[in-house]
Amino acid sequence: MEAFITQLLNGLVTSMLLFIVAAGLSLIFGLMDVINLAHGAFYLLGGYVALTVMEQSGEFWRALIYAPLIVALLGLIIEVVFLRRLYGRHRHLEQVLLMFGVALIVTDFIRATWGAFVESVPNPELLSGHVTIFNVQYPVYRLSLIGFGLMLAFLLWLFIERTRLGAIVRAGVSDAQMVGGLGIDVQRVFAAMFAFGTALAALAGVVGAPIFSLYPGLDSEVLILALVVVVIGGLGTLKGAFYGSLVIGLADTFGKAALPEFSRFLLFAVMAAVLLIRPTGLFGQKGG
Amino acid sequence: MTVKTKARLTRRQFLKAAGLTAGATAASPLLSACGPAAPAGPVKIGVLLPYSAVYAELGNSIEKGMRMYLEEKNSEAGGRKIELITEDEGATPDEATPKAKKLVEQDEVDLVTGIVSSGVLGALRDYFDQNKKLLICSNAGANQLSRQAKTPYIWRTSFTNWQPNWPVGPWAAENVGKRVFVSVPDYAAGHNMRDAFLNSFQAAGGEAVGLQLTPFPNIGDPAPYITEIANAEADFLYCFYSGGQAVTFLKAYGDFGLAGQLPLLSAGFMVEEDVLPAHGDYALGVRSGLHWALYLDNPENKTFSPTYQAKYDRTPDVFAVQGYDTGRVIVEMLNQTQGDTNVDKMIDVLGGISFASPRGPFTLDTATQNPKHHIYLRDVQTVDGAPHNVVLADLGEVVDPGDDSKG
Repeated sequence: MEAFITQLLNGLVTSMLLFIVAAGLSLIFGLMDVINLAHGAFYLLGGYVALTVMEQSGEFWRALIYAPLIVALLGLIIEVVFLRRLYGRHRHLEQVLLMFGVALIVTDFIRATWGAFVESVPNPELLSGHVTIFNVQYPVYRLSLIGFGLMLAFLLWLFIERTRLGAIVRAGVSDAQMVGGLGIDVQRVFAAMFAFGTALAALAGVVGAPIFSLYPGLDSEVLILALVVVVIGGLGTLKGAFYGSLVIGLADTFGKAALPEFSRFLLFAVMAAVLLIRPTGLFGQKGG
Repeated sequence: MTVKTKARLTRRQFLKAAGLTAGATAASPLLSACGPAAPAGPVKIGVLLPYSAVYAELGNSIEKGMRMYLEEKNSEAGGRKIELITEDEGATPDEATPKAKKLVEQDEVDLVTGIVSSGVLGALRDYFDQNKKLLICSNAGANQLSRQAKTPYIWRTSFTNWQPNWPVGPWAAENVGKRVFVSVPDYAAGHNMRDAFLNSFQAAGGEAVGLQLTPFPNIGDPAPYITEIANAEADFLYCFYSGGQAVTFLKAYGDFGLAGQLPLLSAGFMVEEDVLPAHGDYALGVRSGLHWALYLDNPENKTFSPTYQAKYDRTPDVFAVQGYDTGRVIVEMLNQTQGDTNVDKMIDVLGGISFASPRGPFTLDTATQNPKHHIYLRDVQTVDGAPHNVVLADLGEVVDPGDDSKG
């Protein structure tokens, strides 16, 4: 029983990390119809910027604020200077190429700046050590990650469902042109949303760093998992990203525990099974 | 319109091809005329090492070590200058194969050295074998290349995966415990290391209470594995992870409170100097087998380590030592052939090359085309304020058996 509870908590940690990454990816896709292949690179950049901030200031909390802001600024610049020219129904290939190029440049920049050594990020001091819950010793940092992820999910839900800006975003997902017709500057909404999505990727990079460490190549691992989550959950919905993350996080963890050799296979088997039953994902709306 | 363009392109391609062929035919008699009799010009060595992706720092270390030795010898051997042409191995055979072909066919190098990934080595084995081109491998440790898949054209200055693990088995059974949990990544090198350790550990009366093969190369969050390990009631944990996997794995091992509770033994790469700074204190007390240690006490290492440190401003690691030894093997080989790069002559003199290396006595074994060297049982301790490897015991000279009889 104790082992089961520990694994359940492990699964929730992975789920919450995946959710933070996938939420950004999904929001950008839903609103702008752009598959952001640089999302993993933004994750990694967020982690490395956080590392430097922590080394300079010695405080995790500063990194948690600065790194997403800095990466969001980069996202904003990329949207305004490049991506903006490539919106449209038949320009997916150009968008994908652009974002793939951005991913390559960002990862090369990371290697030039921080080197290709593996960097480990210590847990924030306040959250180090263990607590005992349900008879199980569990690292405090991981436990707080679960709480942080749930809180972020709730805040995002509030933002999308309960604010005016959220309503504009939701309307934009359904029909961006119509929103423009109502006198709303869609371009600004797009730019803000892209920056916000990259900030989420970077935020995941910061909080995920003490668990996954930082090293070249992590960007594509993260990107693939996030894509799987988004596909399972249904493209473009926050709810989909949340439940998709839970499915993948738990499947991954229990798969690793039970059948470590086949855990990777199990992950994609789950994806295939979900898509067989619901081809548009758990909460997908855009039928194909 | 289209037809016309197509025709013109074809003609241009034809002319280009014709020109190349003519040029090559014209040049080849000239080249062979001034070939073996009076070797002129530099010896061209293709260096195929990863400068991107996961293994980039390993590639950097190996190249720096090799250049350091060559510079000590003024980049000269057998009366000829040595010229290095570097290419990026990347992380996969798909990336490395075209680069190897470019070095051999376009740059016409005399020999190739490098190769970090065992996957790449396996994929390129037939290419070097069929083209009768010499490859001096400076890292990839796949056992098969010294066993079933041996070819006269591939020699190694590094190790076989079997070597650092096999002598640790009996030592662990005697000094640590009889019940082990083994966790390794699910690919050729992981299997090699597990088999080697378990072979001698079980022969010494030990038993495996748990075995875990984890996905490679993406381990993700290792917490589920750590949870399984913690519940297995083993005396100790035996692992082989390297690079990013090593760091995330050891971090989870520490975060879940196993450091200091469940002793960890490993193949030395898991706690080698390249990853130790990232491990921090969780690495303290991890014991491992490897053919070198930063604080290995011999005159060569006492010169090598500080010189490397001062020259490149980075801590040497086992990969730098392998690069350094590779430089030395190449120089001694060319000295013996007097600069002749005929492949049969080079192969002839490689077996038996022997010298005092920073790793201790080094001899290229003719039977396995791989070094005979000592394996040291090392312990991570705080030295000069940071975790480093010190030697607990010299486990003696270790030679790959040349077949799978011992794991």
